[in-house]
Amino acid sequence: MNCVNDPSDNRVMDRVREGELGALAELFERHHRPLFRYFVHLGGGRETSEDLVQEVFVRILKYRATFLSGADFAPWMYQIARNTHTDAMRKRRFEVIPGGANPVIEDAPSGESPAEERIGKRQETALLRRAMDALPEDKREILVLSRFQNLKYEQIAALLGCEVNTVKVRVFRAVRALGQEYERLAQRRAYGA
Amino acid sequence: MNCEQAQAYFVDLWREALDAPARAELERHLAECEACRSECDEGRRTWEALGELRAEEPSARLRTRFYGELHEAERQRRRRERMRGWIGNPWVSAAAAVVLVAVGIGVGRMTATRDDSKVANLQHEVADMRQLMALSLLEQQSASERLRGVSYASTVQEPDSDVRDALLRTLDSDPNVNVRMAAVDALHRFAGSPEVRQGLARALAREESPLVQIAILDELVELRERSAISSVDHLLSEPKLNPEVRQRAEWAVRRLQ
Repeated sequence: MNCVNDPSDNRVMDRVREGELGALAELFERHHRPLFRYFVHLGGGRETSEDLVQEVFVRILKYRATFLSGADFAPWMYQIARNTHTDAMRKRRFEVIPGGANPVIEDAPSGESPAEERIGKRQETALLRRAMDALPEDKREILVLSRFQNLKYEQIAALLGCEVNTVKVRVFRAVRALGQEYERLAQRRAYGA
Repeated sequence: MNCEQAQAYFVDLWREALDAPARAELERHLAECEACRSECDEGRRTWEALGELRAEEPSARLRTRFYGELHEAERQRRRRERMRGWIGNPWVSAAAAVVLVAVGIGVGRMTATRDDSKVANLQHEVADMRQLMALSLLEQQSASERLRGVSYASTVQEPDSDVRDALLRTLDSDPNVNVRMAAVDALHRFAGSPEVRQGLARALAREESPLVQIAILDELVELRERSAISSVDHLLSEPKLNPEVRQRAEWAVRRLQ
């Protein structure tokens, strides 16, 4: 589990802002994997997601003076990530791969399950991936932020500019929408559509 | 707890982040509400299934690119700091100033020795253009344009008689007081010209504006134009002359005698 609430992040970013650029390496080592997964779970391919992670760190360097002393690093970094993603969508550099064909997604290790069970599990995971990709952008994003990025609801609320309770209800609705989409795809598959 | 409030707790329940009282309250609601119980169970299955999704690790290429970018940013920062250090050093600043002055003198001398005639030609062309511009502006309908024309005429380095005559015509006949006053000032540059001295004396006889009359009187005194005394006397003979003009005219006569 990646720790994005580490107060030491804020101190390291303070050092970067003060001109100690080499300290950014610490933040890169802590956050480049979660950021890569953020872009992948939003539906990006491997190469595009790596490009966007690189772009996020370039922007952190460029706009380091805008990080306020005492601020929380994680929401600030994810705000940059969101802007980077939005810009990439606008320039059509980032396109969700339809049908869950994202090659970087793998199912979790399933231990000693028999082969048949493993295949069934893999199919379910692929279907869930397709359901994720079919969700509207805002629902997919709030699911990624709450389920994969380990952000506190307070941080997500600050990032999205809404109340904490609103975030919780939106996450619930996104989960419900994902479940419905999954069911729809599962039925289509069952009827051979 | 109603259904809407319960929904806000579902995610906390799935994340096992509910404190005991809230959990107890939610469980009471779920025991009573079948719809919420069903929604919560289905949601939990989806939430847990999401946990099964895994992403591969980024490639080594990402790390290589990042450290390359960071190295370059640090190199540029060091270079900027070195530059700031040099600029902040008073000895370096003084040396740079000396070098700049020396270069300026050198370039100036080279230009003077090699391109004297070209520079002179260029200056003539600019003066001609200014003169043409002045003459053209003095013919304009708009008073502000004619004022600009007078102003241009004042900046021509060696104005010829065309400009002088145009300014005299302006003084004689321009309907705007400000333009005529500006023309008086501009004519000061032609102090050596008898035409201008006579033109000022003539204008004094015809001028009706007290302001312009005083300006002409001052100019005649400045030029020590003794031949203008008769024109000033003629002005003083006017019974309805403005008192201030009269006072200034009497002063001018005393100065010119």
